[in-house]
Amino acid sequence: MATWQLEREARDRRIRAGSAVARGKMVEAGDATRLLEAILRPGDRVCLEGDNQKQADLLSAALLAVDPAKVNNLHMVQSGVVLPEHLDLFERGVAKKLDYAYSGPQSARIATMLFGGKIELGAVHTYLELFARYFIDLTPNVALIAAVSADRDGNLYTGPNTEDTPTVVEATAFKDGIVVAQVNAIVDQVPRVDIPADRVHFVIATERPFFVEPLFTRDPAAITEGQILTAMLAIKGIYAPYGVERLNHGIGFSTAAIELLLPTFGEKLGLKGKIANRFALNPHPALIPAIESGWVTQIHSFGSEVGMEDYIRARSDIYFTGSDGSLRSNRALCQTAGLYACDMFIGSTLQIDLQGNSSTVTTSRIAGFGGAPNMGADARGRRHPSKAWLTAGQEAVAGGNALLRRGRKLVVQIGETFGENNVPLFVENLDALELAEKLKLDLAPVMIYGDDVTHIVTEEGIANLLLCRSSDEREQAIRGIAGYTDVGRRRDPKQVARLRERGVIRRPEDLGIDPLDADRNMLAARSIKDLVRWSGGLYVPPSQFRNW
Amino acid sequence: MSTTPLQPLTAPATVTSWYEASARTRTRLLLDPGSFVEFIGPEKREVSPHLKVFDLPEQFDDGIVVGCGSLGGAKVLIAAQEGRFMGGAFGEVHGAKLTGLLRGARDIGSMPVLILFDTGGVRLQEANAGELAIAEIMRAVIEARCAGVKVVGLIGGRSGCYGGGGLIAACCSSLAVSEQGRIAVSGPEVIETNRGTEEFDSRDRALVWRTMGGKHRRLLGAADAFVDDTVQAFRDAALALLGEAGGFGLEILTKEQARLEARLRDFGTCADALDIWSAMGISHADAVSSLPADEFITLADAFGRISHDAR
Repeated sequence: MATWQLEREARDRRIRAGSAVARGKMVEAGDATRLLEAILRPGDRVCLEGDNQKQADLLSAALLAVDPAKVNNLHMVQSGVVLPEHLDLFERGVAKKLDYAYSGPQSARIATMLFGGKIELGAVHTYLELFARYFIDLTPNVALIAAVSADRDGNLYTGPNTEDTPTVVEATAFKDGIVVAQVNAIVDQVPRVDIPADRVHFVIATERPFFVEPLFTRDPAAITEGQILTAMLAIKGIYAPYGVERLNHGIGFSTAAIELLLPTFGEKLGLKGKIANRFALNPHPALIPAIESGWVTQIHSFGSEVGMEDYIRARSDIYFTGSDGSLRSNRALCQTAGLYACDMFIGSTLQIDLQGNSSTVTTSRIAGFGGAPNMGADARGRRHPSKAWLTAGQEAVAGGNALLRRGRKLVVQIGETFGENNVPLFVENLDALELAEKLKLDLAPVMIYGDDVTHIVTEEGIANLLLCRSSDEREQAIRGIAGYTDVGRRRDPKQVARLRERGVIRRPEDLGIDPLDADRNMLAARSIKDLVRWSGGLYVPPSQFRNW
Repeated sequence: MSTTPLQPLTAPATVTSWYEASARTRTRLLLDPGSFVEFIGPEKREVSPHLKVFDLPEQFDDGIVVGCGSLGGAKVLIAAQEGRFMGGAFGEVHGAKLTGLLRGARDIGSMPVLILFDTGGVRLQEANAGELAIAEIMRAVIEARCAGVKVVGLIGGRSGCYGGGGLIAACCSSLAVSEQGRIAVSGPEVIETNRGTEEFDSRDRALVWRTMGGKHRRLLGAADAFVDDTVQAFRDAALALLGEAGGFGLEILTKEQARLEARLRDFGTCADALDIWSAMGISHADAVSSLPADEFITLADAFGRISHDAR
């Protein structure tokens, strides 16, 4: 007779084995490694929770300490490869295969290990893509997650940094997997239930709170006049004419400049209430002046940001908060919101090629994709109209029946022609191609494909790629705003002049912007301390951002 | 700290921040309107002879503005470093312009000198010339002071006052500093590189500021005046410091030595600035960092160490 509950029986055996080192669901921190040795089997798919912000760091250390004779060849399926331990697992033979989305600080080492054959790579994903695969072909056998607190039944409070946890637990717990949570504290009653107890099998209280990186804090003091100029061009040349109300911002300094120009430059242009009022966005401190000036109606967040907790709590009209008053973030849902309910993504990148493909990969680094490709892509399944979406669609395909014309999401790349350390933003060929050949990848790691990009903004002006009718025009439009980079100097001046006449390229003077007006005095806040003052003292920046 | 006594901000600031301003803006707004006359201005194109060897951009004034003008109606000589060019670092030309200004002050004997420091120290690309320049400038400061000239340093720029700049500042008659200003010889990254993160975590900016920042320097007596981060506040402080008596000679140096010995005796075992502030008798040492300028000045006047008979 066929058996249809093998997985459930296997799960129950694992729970019984784990219970030997637990009291109920509670496991001592010192027994974490023994617990993992009891519940893990060689070759298991494991999600070790970690993304660009929070990390289940105690569980990473515990997993690294297992006996590789008992636990080996694991298939790691996780958002972030961020801690050194995440890669040490492969050095020790505990893990063998990897599917992931983001590897910021480990980007150089991961490239070395891939090249040296230490890691068998499944694929590099976007967050939403990896989450999707959790439900189809990368379902974890075991999830090792991080929460703020647990009650004695195992109900979890994941707090402002809830992030990936609900998705990871959903995929694991409802498909006969085991969920182990590290928590900062065991309490009598959790402030709110983010994860119900019946989805949690073991709980470990840690001595140190789980690690959280303040990744989205940009110090206004570091914003340059060049970035302010690009921000002015974007506001006047894109936000205003398309009437962009719903959007996502990247984490670069140019978009921080935009956030800080809304209450000054934006106000002067009379744009308040007409642009930038609903965001899929982490709680960027740089947005505080715009919020306080009444620009922003609503923000849904992927994660939280260290230091913003009290401010968010006090501004619940703007943010999503739980019954306890603190932020509830959810990466999967916010990514979905960014994909389907936003009319624009604007962000920075490291390299843009002649067709507008962009990449943050350099020859020796694989930083992963995170959320940008999803934010920066047209959603082909979208059906609801908006002014910005329809206008962009009309520019892309002139003529035809308007009732049958798709809209387009605005996908904007913003940056200076020469970036950090005077490295040119524009290149003939992406370094990603060289890397793909070196590592024999099927796909070059392209962050945003050129056919999704609608505009590129530099201090030289705006290139509107929607209006380009051939790949040759596209190339000249990009060269035309590439300034004195090699790419820019190889432009065809006549063709660039014609593109400018057609409005494909718009220079600062075409938009009535004097580059000399781009001054730091235009920023609503020029320092972290200014942000603290705008927040009425509610924003409490972490120590590394305080120059007082 | 969940609450902060900072003034709430409800509109973009309108006053000119010293920290934000360029060397030229600081000079123009510090002096009486229209009074500044530049020596060896950018039109002379006295650029560094070393930077082009490294394929680095030059600046026509080599990152320092020198000249004369009037302050409150009285003639002064002035030098302002541009912290945004090579971190305000001392190179050969940069240093020679300041040395020449100070020697001129010595020869004139009646015009005080204002030095608007904004520097990371010696320019690595012209290290020997830069180190020599520091020595020459220190000698020139002392010679000017021997001739009865007051040399007042103003510190509140982006690059702070580090390396040789810190040594020169210590030779001045008096110093005014803002919260953003930092005064030290070895910078945070240098200490961390040589002694490790445990000794000094350069990324912990709150630690950097409470160790080297303006508030700590004022409380320790290393700076004579603390000012808010506005050009106007620096102007007021410069006028006040120039008005105070400040001689120079063996007697002053003996007192300065005694002041420094007492400082070492009293605070030599403190591991953190917070311990020093507590040892001074400040009851809420951990609140000092977030005090607004006016409240801090009141506190510093009550607890801070300054001996106008020293230096």
